[in-house]
Amino acid sequence: MCLTQHFWGYFIPGLANGFLYALIALGYTLVYGVLQLINFAHSEVFMSGGFGGLFVVNWLIGDKHPSGFASVWYVVAGIVAGAIFGGIIAFILERVAYRPLRRRHAPKLAFLISAIGMSYFLLSLAGKEFGRDSRTVKSPFTMTPSKPLLTISGAPITVYDAVIAIAAIVMLIMLDRLVNVTRLGQGIRSVAQDADTASLMGVDINRVIAQTFVVGGLLGGAAGFLFGLGGAGVSYGMGFTPGLKAFTAAVLGGIGNIRGAMLGGMLLGIIENLSQPCFGAQWVDVVSFIILVLVLLVRPTGILGERLGRSA
Amino acid sequence: MLNRRLTLTVAPVIVLGLALSACSSSKKSSSGGSSGSSGGNKPSFTIAYQGPLSGGNAQLGLNMKWAVQLAVNEANAAGDLPFTLNYTEADDQGSGDKSPAAAQQLIDNKAVIAVVGPAFSGATKAAEPKFADANLATVSPSATSPTLADGGWSSFFRVVADDNAQGPADADYAVKKLGAKTIYAIDDASAYGQPLEAAFEAQAKKNGAAVTHASVPGTTQCQAGSGNTQQYTGVATTVKNSGADTVFYAGYYCDFALLAKALNAAGYSGHLFSDDGSLDPKYIQQAGANVAEGTYISCACADISNNPAAADFLTKFKALAGFDSGTYSPEAFDAANTIISVLKTLGTKATRQGVITALKSVDYKGITKEVKFQANGNISGTSVYIYQVKDGKITSLGLAATS
Repeated sequence: MCLTQHFWGYFIPGLANGFLYALIALGYTLVYGVLQLINFAHSEVFMSGGFGGLFVVNWLIGDKHPSGFASVWYVVAGIVAGAIFGGIIAFILERVAYRPLRRRHAPKLAFLISAIGMSYFLLSLAGKEFGRDSRTVKSPFTMTPSKPLLTISGAPITVYDAVIAIAAIVMLIMLDRLVNVTRLGQGIRSVAQDADTASLMGVDINRVIAQTFVVGGLLGGAAGFLFGLGGAGVSYGMGFTPGLKAFTAAVLGGIGNIRGAMLGGMLLGIIENLSQPCFGAQWVDVVSFIILVLVLLVRPTGILGERLGRSA
Repeated sequence: MLNRRLTLTVAPVIVLGLALSACSSSKKSSSGGSSGSSGGNKPSFTIAYQGPLSGGNAQLGLNMKWAVQLAVNEANAAGDLPFTLNYTEADDQGSGDKSPAAAQQLIDNKAVIAVVGPAFSGATKAAEPKFADANLATVSPSATSPTLADGGWSSFFRVVADDNAQGPADADYAVKKLGAKTIYAIDDASAYGQPLEAAFEAQAKKNGAAVTHASVPGTTQCQAGSGNTQQYTGVATTVKNSGADTVFYAGYYCDFALLAKALNAAGYSGHLFSDDGSLDPKYIQQAGANVAEGTYISCACADISNNPAAADFLTKFKALAGFDSGTYSPEAFDAANTIISVLKTLGTKATRQGVITALKSVDYKGITKEVKFQANGNISGTSVYIYQVKDGKITSLGLAATS
């Protein structure tokens, strides 16, 4: 069997990539929760975060060769910068592409087109301003050392894998607490459950929607920076495929369901990497999407189901 | 599902539109030399150049235009010609739509005795039937599509190896020179990588090596591809476990750099081998100098920086064109000089048909290679060059066959 040997060697990088999918997927699922719309420009929020993190980290590092404890701060700075850029872009996006349409009670298709338009605007703008080649993020830690951080039964866990996992777990827990405990979380859940009633109860819907976009943008932007750390850097077109995959992950887990997006992201990442040794790299997407279709045939609302408003 | 399909359909259209609009800064080319004016009582011949002189690929065309003009100027300046050479040009924008008209313009100009070009494969394919009918020889410095040689056009010649030459030459070099026994051949699932890998694989097997093939779509930062930055980690694990002593990658530098890093991290220490898509200093930059060190890269393009005969060309090219000699400039210089050498032997009685006949048996030592043509117009020999990353720089090891 293709997986009996070196199972962990395929599993661990898959899980690391799955964490990234999960972070991006949350952006789709949060917005879907409050608006019942797929924000197709989220992939460009992700890309913007990648560039934001790149500029800040490259500027901070300069000619230095950070190591040890200092590296941690550079990574944190990059994630925070990526998140802030992602959040800002998501906020602007909501203002420009969604709010004017909402005010005019536009049909849902109009939102979709408007989002696609914004997506291409941002994509082209980044391509024009930052060039068509990918730009490398200066790595604050030695990326491919011959000796990995640690090994699990022969499978190396690189520093990069560890950085993604730790950063993602911290952010996922923070989000979970945010939605379940805070006032903002209550607002998000109430709008998701029933926007009209929430409005009658005194919830400022526009405010909650804007905040939801920003929260999704923070996570997506941070994921963009982490993605760019992976070696090939960031480029204007980097959002398209991961965005599509993350959207898939959100559907797999149950769109609108926050824990579903987390689960779907991790599952998709793992399935992708495990199918590579069994079927070959060119079949990875085919296998992933067959599994998605099979899951949806059995559970049309995704693994954890569509649970609008009940985030947990 | 409708939504996703919509994005997928809309994406290429819009991207194409953007690419076209971004590329539309066209440069007006200065008219290169006067045609038809004869010096003294000597007869005159005109050598024409056809290639893109405006549009998105104009730079490639200009690289060649100035090289042709330099060859003509030098031949006139040498003073030993029994005739005067003139230069003219036709702009085909590198496109198959425009090239028949450009070709007609040159054919109708009775002074034109031979053409350097057309530069691009698509333009050549569209224009070559006209040239063949008019018995006007064309020597392309840069059209590499393999099918051009199958057209049966007597007028077609090229001084560059076609795309099919690279794969087998790489396989010969890997197996015979580097002693590769088990090869892991990976392509990037592109129209460029897949045929190259297939040609490599066939020849490597013929040479007795065991070849495992994998098709790995590129990652999204490099080209339209998978969104999985970690995919090469898995691929590298597979390669390491296969016990391969050589990895051949048919694709471009961006993905190759990721693969090389992942292989290094997985503990792979065999040979790395790639193609002209990876012949870019960015490969070293992105993979890291220590990872890239020792990588073999092949290209049908010549490195003339170490050739003393070419030093003079490089200086004069810059003086004439105002920019450094670029991709296919040396090949265009060789193409023009091959035609001039033929004209020298034919003398003042040269005809279009005479040039074609003479080109069939020409043997001219150019700055990139010895120019000899096969019956179908292809250059003789493989003329694929091997490069290696040494001390963080891409260094030429010379021709694959002779080195």
